[in-house]
Amino acid sequence: MELKYIILILNGLTQSAILFVLGSGLTLAFGLMRVVNLSHGAFYMLGGYLGWSVVKATGNWPLALLVGGLSIALLGFLFEKTMLGRVRGNDLPETLLTVALSMIIADVCLVFWARTAITLNVPQYLNPTITILGVTYPGFRYLMMVISILIAVSLWFILYKTNLGKAVRAGVDDRETVSALGININKIYTSVFMLSGLLAGLAGVLGGSYLQLSPGGDTTILTLSLVVIIVGGMGSLLGAVISSLILGQIMSFGLAFAPQYSYFLIFIPMALVLALRPQGLFGRQI
Amino acid sequence: MSRFRINPVKVTFYVIAAIFLILLPYYVSQYTVTTFIRIIYFGFLSLSMGFLIGQGGMISLTQTAFFGLSGYIIGIFGVERGLMFPWPDLMAIGAVAIMAFLFGMIAMGTHRIVFLMITLAFGQVCWAFAAQNTTILRGWSGIRGIRPFVIYGINFNEYQNFYWASLILFALGIFILWRISKSPFGLALNGIRENPRRMAAIGYPVYWIRVVAFLIAAVYAGLGGILAAYNTGIIMPTTIQLSRTIWVLLTVILGGASFFFGPIVGTFVAVWLDVLISGVTERYNLVLGVVFLIIVLFSPTGIIGIFDQMRNDKKFNSIINFFSPKKEKPNS
Amino acid sequence: MTKKLYLIVAIVLVSSMLMSACGVPAVAPAPAEPVAEQAAPAVAEPAPAEPAAVAEAGKIKIGMISAFTGLFSGFGEMQKQGAVLALEEANYMAGGKQIVLIMEDDQLDNEQAITKSKKLVEQDKIDILTGMVSGDEGLAVADYMKDKNIPVIPMYSASEDITMREFHPMIVRTTWTGAQSMDVFGYWLAKEKGWKKIYQIGEDYSFPWNQSGGFMRGFCRGGGEEVFSVWSPPGSTSDFSSMIASIPLDEGYDAVLYNGGGGDAVNFVKQFVELGYDKKITLIGQSNTFEKPDLDALPVDIIGSYSPHHTADDLNTPEWNAFKEAFNKRWGRNPSAASEFAYSSMRVILRAIDAVNGDVSDKAALVDAMLKVDMTDDPRGPVSLDPTFHSAIENVYIREVAKAEDGTLYNKGIWTVKNVSQFGPYDPETYLKQPIDGNTYPPQKCSDFPPVMLDAENVYEFVEFGK
Repeated sequence: MELKYIILILNGLTQSAILFVLGSGLTLAFGLMRVVNLSHGAFYMLGGYLGWSVVKATGNWPLALLVGGLSIALLGFLFEKTMLGRVRGNDLPETLLTVALSMIIADVCLVFWARTAITLNVPQYLNPTITILGVTYPGFRYLMMVISILIAVSLWFILYKTNLGKAVRAGVDDRETVSALGININKIYTSVFMLSGLLAGLAGVLGGSYLQLSPGGDTTILTLSLVVIIVGGMGSLLGAVISSLILGQIMSFGLAFAPQYSYFLIFIPMALVLALRPQGLFGRQI
Repeated sequence: MSRFRINPVKVTFYVIAAIFLILLPYYVSQYTVTTFIRIIYFGFLSLSMGFLIGQGGMISLTQTAFFGLSGYIIGIFGVERGLMFPWPDLMAIGAVAIMAFLFGMIAMGTHRIVFLMITLAFGQVCWAFAAQNTTILRGWSGIRGIRPFVIYGINFNEYQNFYWASLILFALGIFILWRISKSPFGLALNGIRENPRRMAAIGYPVYWIRVVAFLIAAVYAGLGGILAAYNTGIIMPTTIQLSRTIWVLLTVILGGASFFFGPIVGTFVAVWLDVLISGVTERYNLVLGVVFLIIVLFSPTGIIGIFDQMRNDKKFNSIINFFSPKKEKPNS
Repeated sequence: MTKKLYLIVAIVLVSSMLMSACGVPAVAPAPAEPVAEQAAPAVAEPAPAEPAAVAEAGKIKIGMISAFTGLFSGFGEMQKQGAVLALEEANYMAGGKQIVLIMEDDQLDNEQAITKSKKLVEQDKIDILTGMVSGDEGLAVADYMKDKNIPVIPMYSASEDITMREFHPMIVRTTWTGAQSMDVFGYWLAKEKGWKKIYQIGEDYSFPWNQSGGFMRGFCRGGGEEVFSVWSPPGSTSDFSSMIASIPLDEGYDAVLYNGGGGDAVNFVKQFVELGYDKKITLIGQSNTFEKPDLDALPVDIIGSYSPHHTADDLNTPEWNAFKEAFNKRWGRNPSAASEFAYSSMRVILRAIDAVNGDVSDKAALVDAMLKVDMTDDPRGPVSLDPTFHSAIENVYIREVAKAEDGTLYNKGIWTVKNVSQFGPYDPETYLKQPIDGNTYPPQKCSDFPPVMLDAENVYEFVEFGK
């Protein structure tokens, strides 16, 4: 019986890992640019599909992770440069553009990839069955946790230890002053949006390996990432960490004890947060 | 052009448009009328969203949930409990109003993009609940067998009658909303859209004005939902899924969110576009997405905005003048 | 300037009304439409030409509604391929007339499904409606079609009520119901394998409910004791590992039944294997769980898992082989049950049109002709139709997942039961008196079953597969 709870907690952590990778990208872009990237789910899906094609062609999973992440970063770059930049500062058109992009990506995915569920094959060396203290758990899931911790640490490093990060944080606090100081805020916007795309693409490859990719999956993913950043506080990295940890456990235990309402359950913390602390656990008033 | 002066051309236009719409079932095919019915119920929905965006500056993605809620109420009380018209319909409107009031109280503390996300999340909560509740809302299966009623010997199962009833309701709805948006309340709402802090400083109850606006908009979505439920005969969670919400948002932007008639024009074009291109290609979501993209990038004011620009455009004026023999001085 | 714009739009309106009112005879309303589109208030968009809407005499129109985008688009595509293959084999001709197939995508959305049905009925004036992937979609469309006097031939949509409680005489289902194969399966597991307790994890909507209902009836009748059921929402549950970890291993369950298909099944089975449960407890599936092409995404560890269906990948009859070869040649892939069902439904339609010599004006006669079509040469085995409820009586195959020489997985038939009707061994009257299958009915404990459901005499005869 105890074994079961350990596995449930581990499952929760796995969920948290993917939720964090998803949510951190969204929250970064929001914190700086005040753009809710509603194509985040579509980015995730496209990244996963691209990764799937790479695995199918080469069998090389790390390469797939790289390609999935980088190509979405590139897409983010192009999108930001050619379209988002044109309506900069006007948050509603910005959001609408991302909606349009998500419609296009979701439909393009239907053209190029299978319409049934597909899943990325993880090579055996990345997915050994690991038994620790009598608990058997797939190694790939541990790997996912490690990857997401690495991502969290490097995001922290980028934000707090580099010049880019300083500019980003300053931009979050006060956009006008930053541009007045002569920092090229447009460049920073582009880099952050790319980073956000990179994270979505990585999440897509991870999610496509541990779960599956199927048409229509983008809206579920988008909703989950929105819940993560609403609970955690929009724009807060720490908030994304904490809220993905909480939501992961809720999803895991919800599935075990109230499976019929499992998807509904994750909205309860969101409702509580909205009612009691609308800016989110670690968000600032907007 | 004061709104108290009668403009003969405008009046003639409205009369002709009215005759055109009323006589529609006599000279077009049944499917065209069906499409107009769709335009009407989606028109209600997009009017509801457009009112909030255009007049109040609030992008609410919960409107489809209200649209679906009234359908569910009709399904539960009209089909499963067998209540007679107008009780299920009144209950539907009542339920929508209560829900909108409660939710408005929560959401109106936020503005702009945060408001958008909260309403999106709330819409998803409703969708998740509808999809997962199998005891009352019947889960994915939804509630089937919703049929229009017969009152005073008029059978609304006939598509012509249903069309006329919807049309009257729609015209009435447009008129009332038009009056609301021109009333002191509507002007206060516009003021809040531009600058909520200043309005609060002047002494307007900003929060409550927004809540009431949200409630009014929700009732419009609910009306659309009633018509949709009767027209399709079934209510399912897919009615309130995110892609529909996004589609409605598209119609609002397409027509021109800042114009009162924008949502209606947008719905008209989008529904016909849907009908026309879905017969040609499977990739209509792609086409719609591209149209959406172009509109947002190049013509944020939508179709009506394009016409507005054209009116001030010399080349276009010369085309119009070509059709009218007498040259007039531009009057505005 | 505004005045003139209004004036011009008004003139366009009036002239369009006059034109359409005078120029259009009652028989061909289609040409009026582009004019009407153009004449909309304030929008003077040039109207694109209406594609293929003009009624052409001497052609028979078949409308097909399916989910070509969205969650079930995989099934939708397979259906399309099967149906198109059947039409191409007939060269788009039947009864001396040309056949036109009009396909519409409903995106698995009820509003779209009804709208597209209306389009097919009102504008295209179709003679026959077919398609439908999911159970709910089928029920919704059948509900709308009730009074339209157009034959409806659901393909993969398996909700039993289409041909039971909501049956109307224009429906002909040459395919299956959810309970049909599962009843046999449950009975077989209890009777032949001697299993007593099953732990079921299912998707929470009508098709799995129906499959579960059939399974429970068969299982309890065969001597089982309990089918414990847990349900989760379809499409939105992605990580099943917590549900898997909650499966009690020490309470004497003989097997875990995963009652779901598509993406959910891929997730579930993958995680089941990853968590090592395949070594602890047997996994069995419903009809779609191990179906191709989703099977290709599943790990090889599930070899030996049982599931029932009306097709098996290694059917070695001349009919199946010919179909498989033709399908492979046309589409470059192996057929699945969904494509076979579409193929066979379309063949029934074509043969019925042949039988009435292309005269489809009398729809009741057309339906009669469909019921009388000889389907003994159907690829999946002989099929006949029940004259009262217009549903299929056909073979059920119990299959196990096996590995082919090229390393891919396939469903290997092991037992055949012939002539299974949608009511299984029950007589229709008793069966229809029971409540509709749901997530709370039938009861989980066999002892709570109404005795009449347990007492039905066995009609199944298990024949070794391929004999």
